[in-house]
Amino acid sequence: MPLSAVPNERDVAIVAALAGLPGMGPVRLRAVLAQRSPAKAYELLTQGRFNEIAELKSVPGLRADDLATWRYQLSHLGPSELLAAHADLGIEIDWSPEGVSIGRLRDDPDPPLMIFQLGANIDTQVPSVAIVGTRRCTAYGRSVAARLGSELADAGVTVVSGVATGIDGAAQRSALDSGGGAVIGIVGSGLDVVYPQRHRSLWADLARYGTLLSEYPVGTPPARWRFPARNRLIAALADIVVVVESGERGGSLHTVESALERDRLVMAVPGPITNPASIGTNRLLGEGCPPVTCTEDILAALGFVAPALKPNFVPEKAEPQLESVLEAMGWEPATIDELLLRTSLGLDELGSRLMTLRVAGKIVETGGWWERNSA
Amino acid sequence: MLASVGAATLVGVEGHRISVEVHGSNGLPSFTIVGLPDAGCREARDRVRAAVLSSGLTWPNRRVTVNLAPSSVRKGGSGLDVAIAIGVLVASEQVPAASIEGRSFVGELGLDGRLRTVTGIVPLVHALAGDEVIVPASAFREAEVIHDGLVRPVSDLRQLCDALCATEPWPDPPEPGPDQACVPGPDLAQVMGQALARRAIEVAAAGGHHLLMLGPPGAGKTMLARRLVGIMPDLDRAAAIEATLVHSAAGERLPRGGLVVRPPLRSPHHGASMVSLIGGGTGSVRAGEISLAHRGVLFLDELGEFAPTVLDALRQPLEEGVIRVSRASGSTVFPARFLLVAAMNPCPCGEAGRPGACRCSDLARLRYARRMSGPLLDRFDLRLMVTRPPVDDLLARHHVAESTAEVAERVLTARARAKERGVEANAQLTRDDLELVCSVTSDGERLLRHHLEAGVLSARGLHRVQTVALTLCDLAGADPVLDGDRIAGALSMRVEPARLLQAVGV
Repeated sequence: MPLSAVPNERDVAIVAALAGLPGMGPVRLRAVLAQRSPAKAYELLTQGRFNEIAELKSVPGLRADDLATWRYQLSHLGPSELLAAHADLGIEIDWSPEGVSIGRLRDDPDPPLMIFQLGANIDTQVPSVAIVGTRRCTAYGRSVAARLGSELADAGVTVVSGVATGIDGAAQRSALDSGGGAVIGIVGSGLDVVYPQRHRSLWADLARYGTLLSEYPVGTPPARWRFPARNRLIAALADIVVVVESGERGGSLHTVESALERDRLVMAVPGPITNPASIGTNRLLGEGCPPVTCTEDILAALGFVAPALKPNFVPEKAEPQLESVLEAMGWEPATIDELLLRTSLGLDELGSRLMTLRVAGKIVETGGWWERNSA
Repeated sequence: MLASVGAATLVGVEGHRISVEVHGSNGLPSFTIVGLPDAGCREARDRVRAAVLSSGLTWPNRRVTVNLAPSSVRKGGSGLDVAIAIGVLVASEQVPAASIEGRSFVGELGLDGRLRTVTGIVPLVHALAGDEVIVPASAFREAEVIHDGLVRPVSDLRQLCDALCATEPWPDPPEPGPDQACVPGPDLAQVMGQALARRAIEVAAAGGHHLLMLGPPGAGKTMLARRLVGIMPDLDRAAAIEATLVHSAAGERLPRGGLVVRPPLRSPHHGASMVSLIGGGTGSVRAGEISLAHRGVLFLDELGEFAPTVLDALRQPLEEGVIRVSRASGSTVFPARFLLVAAMNPCPCGEAGRPGACRCSDLARLRYARRMSGPLLDRFDLRLMVTRPPVDDLLARHHVAESTAEVAERVLTARARAKERGVEANAQLTRDDLELVCSVTSDGERLLRHHLEAGVLSARGLHRVQTVALTLCDLAGADPVLDGDRIAGALSMRVEPARLLQAVGV
């Protein structure tokens, strides 16, 4: 909580109610609350006196029916019940007229007006790294994300990400499992609206052992436009943004933009030039982002240790007959048919070697495609 | 003035012996049929009278009552026409009563007295075992192949009357038509690449393991499934009779020899209703696709497009080998021991296999994957991802893939081995049986242990993997010792449901 006087509970409730309105993003919320107390804004909106909120006129894309929806929703939802719902779920609300208490977010060029929080408080003195990437990742990306997540957490670095499927989830899960540094998940829905559903357990673990942050009150559904807004908070909280895999376009490149606007260092993990999930990251490298070849690269950029001379992702050699299969596989997904052609082994032999390699954790299989596991 | 004639009616896929009793008495001339006839059967009144008159015989000007006994069984269709006509002729003393002793009659009558074949001739004749059976000439071959006694083909009522009165000899059986060379199905030799999938259909055919293939469009799932029946061995006589009974009862065309000797392949469209798939219907209960696939292959292409309720209805027949269709009027049991082969795309756009290639939204993939119920998925011993063959395989000029005949031979040997173990195919071996017939080497055990510990194999999956490995031994002609290679082979053809769904994107 900020140092100024304890904020009025009614004001907190009103701002929470306003933040959860459909189509209410940070820009609009700031416009509504500019130059007037929350109680006054609430009064104007519920009475339909929209003209008196002059700042709304300059907000692009706002339509008359948005205002009508806001008026309707506000008059049908008691702010005090909303507050009680947060208390029941153990969600802390961070708000004061001067801004939120987390310094990095308060001083942001596009600051959130209110933050809802589940789990531990954030120590912004600790260096933090955001690990982001596409939801449509390959096994390579997933394993790199997991490895970076756990090794950064082991080094005591705070790991920030967006709880999305793919890279985000892989990084956060392994960071949590390592039990080292803090793990922060920033989401684009209310803290009681688990999205994506398959990350229910990750969500719960973040709330218990890490931190979950949102700009929106309970009950807010995930909407497409809320995710870019969420991405700016990821960039704002992190010292370094690491992109593990990204397609030609995607949310992670939006995070990169937000990071550059905020002067955060962006690093990218190189990938095969034939892999569509690495197009974005390889382009970032071309544009001058430092590459991540090992966790030490990131730690060095944070000023932790001297950069490692040798990338440590070089896997140890397997037995010669297994190594021949690995060589035939290369670093891209391959099917059994392709491997049969490349190795001139019989199906029995190849099958048995693949199983041995899988047991050894050297390769993984997804949908009939076998890939080398770099971790 | 009483006559009792042997006949049969169809209930489900079984024939039931019926006795047609005809009584003529004084009174107002009339003609009534009692004994639970359905509409088609009641229409026999008009057909029989016209047929008798146009055959130059006399219709008795009396009060004629026909009773179909036992009257508790519902009689359907027109197969009793001939028996009713003969009953009337015996009752009116135009045909000697002694001549119908030990004889039964099956067939429909035309208004001109011609005998026509009816649906289900095979089960009808089957039910009349021990009798001399009179059938329409066009149904002679089917009837002869199933019947143990004498079968008399007759083409019209007049001819039948003359033969019964012994004024003319019985007509000769019709000349067998030219034996059409059995059109061979598509050959396995045409399949390019797909080593693992080829192996999988071979194992499915040899061991009776249900098979699920996931893969992008154009990978060859349907092509492979269609070649699966080709490598299955011919049905033995008992199995062939079971299959023929169902086919005949459903009015399906029978092969020229009369017996369904090749395992049937049924591939219902994914729009199929529950009733069309498992059997049923109002009035007379009909066999569904799963019964027509009895002793053969039921191929469900685009498994993900079938209604989930329809798919779940397959679980009980998969377990028991029969389907019990219950209606208010009673329940019927249809045979349904089939090999289930299913194919589906990994996601609506079909590209989910190759990492990063799928264009579907998460929600669409989730919804698609949810259609596969876990319990049904569990029935598939072989679940594999079929990928598009690499370019080099497709363009290979000197392509030397094994032909259907070569593979069929191995399958036959493997089945023979299963028979020695007392089952038709290895898939039917229980856990205890398996321990008796084969052993696992330490190599194999280590591999199994690793997979169990890594969570890629479930406890139930363990037994199934061993069964598949045993089938692999049989196909290779090796001793039933499950070593590392065999277990690895079985494991590479089995993706656990959780991982399958993961590939689909849940």
